[in-house]
Formats: sequence, C-alpha cells, structure tokens
Amino acid sequence: MTLPGFSALLNAWWFLLLIPLIIFYFLKLRRPRVDMPSLALWRQVISDQRVNSPFQKFKRNLLLLLQILLLCCLVIGAMQPYLSSGAQRAKYLPVLIDTSASMAALDVAGGKSRLDEAKEKIGKLIDDLLPDQRLCLIAVNSTARKLTDFTDNKRMLREALSQLEVSHVPSRLEDGFRLAQALSRAFPIESVMLLSDGNVPADVEFELPFKLNYQRLSYGGPNVGIVDFNARRSKSGWDVFARIEGTKQPEGEKGPPTAKTLCEYQLFQNGQSIKQESVSIDNGQAERLVFKISTDIAVSLELRVKPDSFDSLEADNVAFLNLPKPRPLAVYCPENMESFRNALATIPDLNLYPSGDPTPAAVDLKFADGPISTGPPARVSFNVGYVPEAIASLLEVEPGLAEIVDWQRTAPLLQHVQLLDVQIGDQPKLTKGATERDFELAGYEILAQSRTGPLILEKPSEAGTEFQFVFHPDRSSLVYRVGFPILIQNATQVALQRAALSEAKGSPTGSLPTQKLLANTDYTVTGPHGFSQSAKSDDNGFLSGIEAPFVGLYEVSGGAEPIQVGVSLMASRESSLVSVEKLQFPEVAVAATETTVKGDQPLWGWFASAGLAFLILEWWYFQKKPSGVPG
Amino acid sequence: MDTTKNFTTLLDNATLGRVERMRMLPMRRRTNRSRGEHLAGKGGTSTEFNDYRDYVPGDDMRNVDWNIFARLNRPYVKQYRHEEEMHVVVLVDASASMQFGDKFERAKQLAACFAVMGLMNIEKVSLFACQHAGQTPLISPPCTGRMNMKRVFSFLESIPPGGDFPIEEAVEAVLRQHRGRGIAVLLSDFLTFGALERPMNMLFSAGLEVFGVQLLSSIELNPELTGDLRFVDAENGLTLDVSSVGDLLGFYHEHLNGLQEHLSTLCRQRSGRFTCLDAATPIDTIMFDVLKRKGWVQ
Repeated sequence: MTLPGFSALLNAWWFLLLIPLIIFYFLKLRRPRVDMPSLALWRQVISDQRVNSPFQKFKRNLLLLLQILLLCCLVIGAMQPYLSSGAQRAKYLPVLIDTSASMAALDVAGGKSRLDEAKEKIGKLIDDLLPDQRLCLIAVNSTARKLTDFTDNKRMLREALSQLEVSHVPSRLEDGFRLAQALSRAFPIESVMLLSDGNVPADVEFELPFKLNYQRLSYGGPNVGIVDFNARRSKSGWDVFARIEGTKQPEGEKGPPTAKTLCEYQLFQNGQSIKQESVSIDNGQAERLVFKISTDIAVSLELRVKPDSFDSLEADNVAFLNLPKPRPLAVYCPENMESFRNALATIPDLNLYPSGDPTPAAVDLKFADGPISTGPPARVSFNVGYVPEAIASLLEVEPGLAEIVDWQRTAPLLQHVQLLDVQIGDQPKLTKGATERDFELAGYEILAQSRTGPLILEKPSEAGTEFQFVFHPDRSSLVYRVGFPILIQNATQVALQRAALSEAKGSPTGSLPTQKLLANTDYTVTGPHGFSQSAKSDDNGFLSGIEAPFVGLYEVSGGAEPIQVGVSLMASRESSLVSVEKLQFPEVAVAATETTVKGDQPLWGWFASAGLAFLILEWWYFQKKPSGVPG
Repeated sequence: MDTTKNFTTLLDNATLGRVERMRMLPMRRRTNRSRGEHLAGKGGTSTEFNDYRDYVPGDDMRNVDWNIFARLNRPYVKQYRHEEEMHVVVLVDASASMQFGDKFERAKQLAACFAVMGLMNIEKVSLFACQHAGQTPLISPPCTGRMNMKRVFSFLESIPPGGDFPIEEAVEAVLRQHRGRGIAVLLSDFLTFGALERPMNMLFSAGLEVFGVQLLSSIELNPELTGDLRFVDAENGLTLDVSSVGDLLGFYHEHLNGLQEHLSTLCRQRSGRFTCLDAATPIDTIMFDVLKRKGWVQ
C-alpha cells in the first residue's frame, strides 16, 4: 500500500488552530434548558447509550466534531497530499508526443485517433499535476518542436495540447530526445515520457542520459496506403510505378489488424482521370501498379486509392508525381577534351556542345579542364586537371606517379569502374596539417584516394553536383581503360537524375522539393490545412527549405505564374502501422508499456470537497431547530 | 350554559353519580375482622348461603337443615358467608414531577373516584398525599359512608402541588400510619431513582392489594426532542446534558417500556394490578372504559 505524501508539509502548522477551536467551542457552547419531570429514565438512557456507542464522546459534541473534521480537511488539503503512483516522482517531466502520420490512424470507423488517445492520457497527467511538478510538452515527428516550457499552468498545457495535430511525416525520435537532453542542461530531468503508437524506427541513435518511460498507445485499425510512386523514362514517354501496401498483423504477435479489402484506385493526369480500376489487397501483400504515360510535355499525376472497407489512415491514400518534359540531355564538353567527347559521342539521346548548333544558356552536364569556366552553367560539373580554389590550401599537385589505393565503389560516379592499377601522372600532396576533415568542412567528399592525397572529390550542393578530378585523365592510363566510358556514362546518369530526365519520384512530406524560380523573389507557399509560409528565392533562383507537413498540393505564388507541387506520405513504415515493442538505443533497450499513464494522484480536491461537505453538514446541524423544545 | 353547580371541582355531577354506583373488584379478599360489606372466604353468619357440611358435635343446632335430615336421616349443617370490612388506602403522589401536564389533576380525580367507590360501599377510606421528603404525608383519616364524601373532596382539592417525595419513601411513610387490610391505590408517575421492591413488599405484608396507576404526561410518553439539551429535574434541580437527544429516543422508549414492565411484574407478583395511563385521557374514559375493561371496577 502506498502511503500518501505531502507537497506542502509546512502547512501542517495550521493544525495548531485546533487548540483555539476547541477552546472557543466549549466557551461558546450553550444548551437549551428543558425542565423534565424526572431524570431517572434519562440517566439510564445515557448510561445505556455510553455502553452501546463507542463514539458517544464524539456524538456528545457533534458540532465540535464537525468543526474539527472541517479544519482537518482544510489543513490536509493545504498540505497538498498526493498518492504516489509508485514510480519515482519526477519534478520536471518532458513529455514527447509522437505526431507522425501514423498517429492519425483511427481504431474504428468514426473512432478516435492515436493522437486523441495520447491527448487523453496527457490530459489525465495534467489533471494529476502536483503543485511542484512541471511538464514540458514536445511534439515529435520528423523533427521536434517544444509546445510549452516547463510549466504547471494547466490551462496553458491543455491549450497547447488541444492545438496539437498530426503532421503527415514519418517519425524520427532522435530530435525529440536531443531537445529533452538540451532541456536537461537547464532543469534536473530524471526521466522522459514518450507517448507513441510505436510506429517509429526501432533503432534510435541516441545515448540516453535519462530514464525513458515509453508509453505505447493501442493499435490502429487496418490500413491501406500508397507507399511508393515514381516513374522511369521510356522510349514513348514514362513508365509510372505505384506500390500499394496494407497492414499485416505479425503471426502470434500483437499489432494492427491485417487489411483485407478491395481497393479502388484512380489516376489523374493534370486533373483529368485517365484510369480507374480496382485491386485486391489481402494478407498484407503489396500490389505494384504500372501505368504507361505517353507525353511530350510536363505532366502532373495524382493517384488516389479508396478502400471499400474501413481504412484507418487517410493521409496515405493519395500520392502526387510531377513528370518533367522529356528532352535530350544537354552536355557541354570543350573541344580540346577529345577523349571525353569521344566517350560522350557513344551515348544516345544526348546533345553535345559545342557543336554546330548554338550552345544553350544552361546545360545539364559540363566538362572543364581548367579553373576558368568556358561554358554555360550546369547542374552537374565534371572538372579535371586542377585543384579548385576552395581546397587549394589543403592540396597541391606535383608531377609524379600516383596510384589509386581506395575509392568509393558505391558512389554513383564510380559504379562499375575499376580504378585499380590506373597510373596517374599527377601526384596529389596534402599540405602540412591538412586532413580529410578539412575537405569535409570545405564541402568536399573524397571519392578516390591515393597514398599521398585525394584524387577524385565530389562537392554536392543545392545548385548541383561538382565532380573534381585533381589529375587530368589524359595524363593517366584511365582513358585507355574500359572503365573510362563507364565513368562518363555514370556522369551522364548523374546529370540525368539531377535534371529529372531519367526518372521521377514522388515528393515525400517533410519539405517541399527545391524549386527553380526567379532569383531573389519573395514567394508565398500555401498548402492544405491552412498552411502558409513566406520565403525568398536565393541568388540562383532556388527556393528551398519550405516545410511541407501535410499531404496535398502546395501552391507557390509570387513569381510570374503560380506553380503547384504535390507532396505525399509515401512511407512504408507509416502506412504499415507496425509497432515496435522495444526501442533499441546504443547501450540500452527500452520496452514499451501499455499501462495507463499514472502520475501522482493529488488528493487535495477530495479533502476540499470533504471540507465543503462537513461545512454544509455543520450548517444544517447548527440551523436545525430542535423540535419539541419548549419556548 | 350548564348552570348546575357541581358537588366538587374534581368531578362533575354526572360522573360522580356513575362512580357512586360502581365498586372496586379486588383480586383477593383482604378484609378486616370487623364486619363489613365484603364477603370473606371463611364461613360466617350472613344471610347468604354458602355450602353444607357434616354435622359435628358442638355445632349450633340452629344451623342444622332439618329438611335434609328428614329426607336422609343424617344431620347436615348449613354454612353462610362471612362479610367483613375492607380498607381502601389512596396514595396521591403530589411531588413536583406530577405537575407536568394533567398528571396531578388526573391523580386527584382518580383518588376521588376510588374514595367515592369506597365510601359508597361502606369501606374505610384513607387518603394520603406525599409532597416533601422527610415530612409527614398529608392524611385524610379513615372514614366511610356518603356523609364523608364532602370531607374527602375537600381534602383532595386542598392538596398543594410541589415537593420531592419519592414514591418508595412515601409508601413507607404511609404504612407507618396505616393499619388495616384492603386495597392500596398508588397514584404516581413512579419516576424515581429508588427501588420499588421494598415498598411493594411492605404493602403486600400489610395486607394491602396494590392498585398501581402510573400517570404520565405526553413529554414522558412521547418526548419530541432533538439537539443538544440540558435537562433539569423538576424535583431536585439536578441537570443532565444530553447530546443528540433525537438519536436517544429509541433508548428512552425502551427504558420506559422496561420500567412499566418492571412495575407490572412487581404488582402482579404481589397479587396486585398495574396500569399506565396517559394523563391527558379524560377521567370518564379512564373510569368507565379503561378500568372497567381491565376489571378493576364494575
């Protein structure tokens, strides 16, 4: 049995009021006098009653007893009693609330969402908040957002809780834990509470510095959703692929029920329905849908699915895909780089400049063999034979023989390229004190390394990708290797991807894809659920970093013509509603619990109510006219 | 308007007239040797035939039934009933406790009725009124016959109320002054701290059949009291603080019933009678209905 504790024990001094209360009671006590023929019977009655009633002493002074009880209730209430939940009582408790897309899952048709259930539990926690306890509500989805500071203001907490809504983004808990860790520097945080439906990555890359109370909510209902929507260039246009998945309950384990439904899907092209069919989703199987889109202009596709039975999550029933206008890849390669031009000439569907045609203002891929740019700007640059100025202080190239000792075989540029035993006539040499870390700080990633320094580097940026060969392939045996045309092919593939000419993927929620617009222009982005955000494009005309928390169409206005961008959930884990029972941290695992959130139960309200009851009872007893009393 | 002047303030003439024709019915014949109106159990010389018995030498020859002797040729003696005198002692509790309600008034009326019945049946009627403890009770000496009726009424009308004479001591004080067998009518509320066994035994030993009449007012029979009260004893001024009186009424009624049962047992065990009357009940109802049905009078 848990004994109650007191938050304000010093208020027990108020019990001293019992002394004047009793004194004044007996000083003020006046009994009506009643003349009786004889007290013989009444004496017997009194003595008999004393024997029969052990509380006679109290009943003799019922009014005093009520006053004492009233005072005791008030004083105990002022002492702020609470019934400990058994767990260690945390004075400062950050509460992480999962607001990812899966938290919108309903349990039954017309039922409550996981977030509503979390709100109920936190509401109970707020109700039971003790005077010296502080809560801090933190919403966690793909990022973390602090809803309130540490406060015991229940109104503020409830208001913040009521305004909390689900974001259609996948879960990522690390940011929430880091925020709690940051709070722990200012407040003594012993434990953190996490309320989630369990639809989070099981592995969390975070060193837990506090205890974690992982409260897993109940499971949602069956769900069917679009988990992938992409397209690949074909000869006639685009091959569009979509993937629809349903929830599947693991055998012998708890989880969301398996989806068994007939799913009607409809594909829209620029707002016009072009296909409508049905597909059966059974036993959690994923269905792959293939569409062929023949077009020579840019189109936007919208895929909608409509299960014929209850579907717990609605956000994943729609997906958007923008297909750019099909065109050949524009490549600029100076005429003095003959080996590169020869390799490029064998690649189909490619316009190579300079040629007889005029060179366009911008190309998709540009080759250069010197620091001074001679061609138009490009999304992907392939520079050879020099050290860019940004890393000139870190690296020098001297004449000498160098050999590649290691390279990133999985890098898109170097896939299937064998660089072993390639003889290189330029020898890189790191300046004194320079390390790989310095290259990273400069924005470069080393793709290939010699014994004395990096040979191939990649500098990804928002504007594009820059591949940097510090040696000139013409002064190496690379151009004579089979891997050289593969290398050039890889470069064109990278350029195709960056130009979205080879394939297109639906944009997931979280942030809007970067838009190439007018430079230095103010734009307003509006979206579903009343979303609105203002931003300014940079010098290159790129508009990036726009939040996209909800599934739907976003309109970017402010430039010449408004453009629409659709984002969709497309997260297999969120749609599967699968729930992890245990969070695995680097050194420790935290198991989920479904037990009700039990905070310390404050009892002052009960005592205050009892005090009020005693007050009313005493008033009634005091006011009650003794019937039958003469006069 | 009834302009007829009543013979006494205690009873109206109609009631008095009916009472005069009534007589008490004692359960046992407790009579005195002196001849009177009451038939004794033993053989006597009255004119009322009782039984026959065999003649034995020495019997008065005048009592032999010669007709039977002629038929049976055996002598039988006729026996006659013996009529003796009976005392009626009426004790009126005049203490302060009897002043509540109509208790004292009703006690005096009942005393008058019993006295009238005694007088009219040629009994010796004595009246006693007890007021203050330690003092001699007020006495109306034994008398009989209609001629003493006015005297009896005057005595009863002149009894002043008030005092603290407990009933048990009052009985002892009366028995110190009374001689004679018969009926003792005790008119009291019997609310006393003392024991009643001793006075009852003394009355029984004195040859008096007890007619115990407990007169209680409404505040005693059905007290409607609640709250915290301070009770003050009317006789001795003692106080008793009682809390939550309303909760104790159940106990009170239990004790009141217990007291009545105890008094009834005391009287019954000594060949007496006991009854409890509400003082608010009219005297006519008591005399001509209650007591008649109980067989006390006829």
